[in-house]
Amino acid sequence: MAYIDYYKILGVDKNASQDDIKKAFKKLARKYHPDLNPNDPNAKQRFQEINEANEVLGDPEKRKKYDQYGENWKHADEFEAQRQQYSRQGGGFGSSGSYWSSGDFSGMGGDGEFSDFFESLFGTRKGRGRTSGFRGQDYTAELRLSFQEAATTHKQILTVNGKNIRITVPAGVADGQTIKLKGQGGPGVNGGPAGDLYITFSIAEDPVFKRLGDDLYVTSPLDLYTAVLGGEQIIDTMSGKVKLQVKPGTQNGAKVRLKGKGFPVYKQEGQFGDLIVTYSVQIPTNLTPKQKELFQELQKQH
Amino acid sequence: MRTDLIIVDDYCQKCHIDPDFILLLEEDGLINVQTVDGERCLLESELGELERFTRWYYDLSINIEGISVIRDLLGRMRNMEEEIRHLKRQLRLFGDSNLPL
Repeated sequence: MAYIDYYKILGVDKNASQDDIKKAFKKLARKYHPDLNPNDPNAKQRFQEINEANEVLGDPEKRKKYDQYGENWKHADEFEAQRQQYSRQGGGFGSSGSYWSSGDFSGMGGDGEFSDFFESLFGTRKGRGRTSGFRGQDYTAELRLSFQEAATTHKQILTVNGKNIRITVPAGVADGQTIKLKGQGGPGVNGGPAGDLYITFSIAEDPVFKRLGDDLYVTSPLDLYTAVLGGEQIIDTMSGKVKLQVKPGTQNGAKVRLKGKGFPVYKQEGQFGDLIVTYSVQIPTNLTPKQKELFQELQKQH
Repeated sequence: MRTDLIIVDDYCQKCHIDPDFILLLEEDGLINVQTVDGERCLLESELGELERFTRWYYDLSINIEGISVIRDLLGRMRNMEEEIRHLKRQLRLFGDSNLPL
């Protein structure tokens, strides 16, 4: 934890008027407010810093204390006690730089909390200005699922702020999809309703299948001879292997759509997307002299 | 009594909001206010949105017109982000698995 330069954070001079500070805060707050920068953790972090800086510099009393102790913040209480003692004795006391301490910077606390530096100087946060308290805070959580888990309706237990919440994850949830659990957020105050819990699903990629909506895509290597002459090809699907008939003269990149072999459709039990198989014709390499001769024979007849 | 309605005056008093602010939002179609038994009421389902507007108005000094514009732009931004995610997924089908989602 180290000294935080609140003036630098707000981009104002140490002699800035309260009005200048207010203007600088409003300008930066509009730029970095989390409401206006959704899903941007950097903006959230920056906003917390700006908010904390304004909490100090925007309050003349806090600003005075901050200016007075500045970098000697760690010993603010000792200074205060000594200053009062000196004052009683009729002596003066000036702050010196000898108490400068450089420690590690722990950064700003999360979720609207102020930094340790702030708390060391001013104690726990006491909000100023408009205090609104009614509806509880909304919580957000990320739930990571494997590809298989996302394809199966199943139960999950989430721990959000120390509370266990049992949810049923319907098959077919999409990566990045967010669901709202009403009333599972923070408790309301003054008779207000509880906030909501927003859960965003993060679904791992599958090494075999690529998913687009409810459809799955898979690439199947097809040997040249089956592509030319036709035959059978075994394909992996999510529900097991299937045997496909390959038409003679199948081109590289040809696609086959297997109806109902795709991903389950969200909240439509028993319905599935399609599986689209793309054939990737494998051209033989490292031909033996005999094989090369046969290909040359074919070439001559073409 | 319905629990999904909150009396405007009660809400304003508890949250230290000027009732005229609610009126301005209502006039601009940003929130809905229902009158039940002569009492003007907010919908609980719109409280989250109202709180956002309140923060913008009181904390960021954004006026009602600005709130309306920002709300629309954020909606468009969300739609575009969703479209970008969808397009990235499509691109990944063509083999560029390094694209972040």
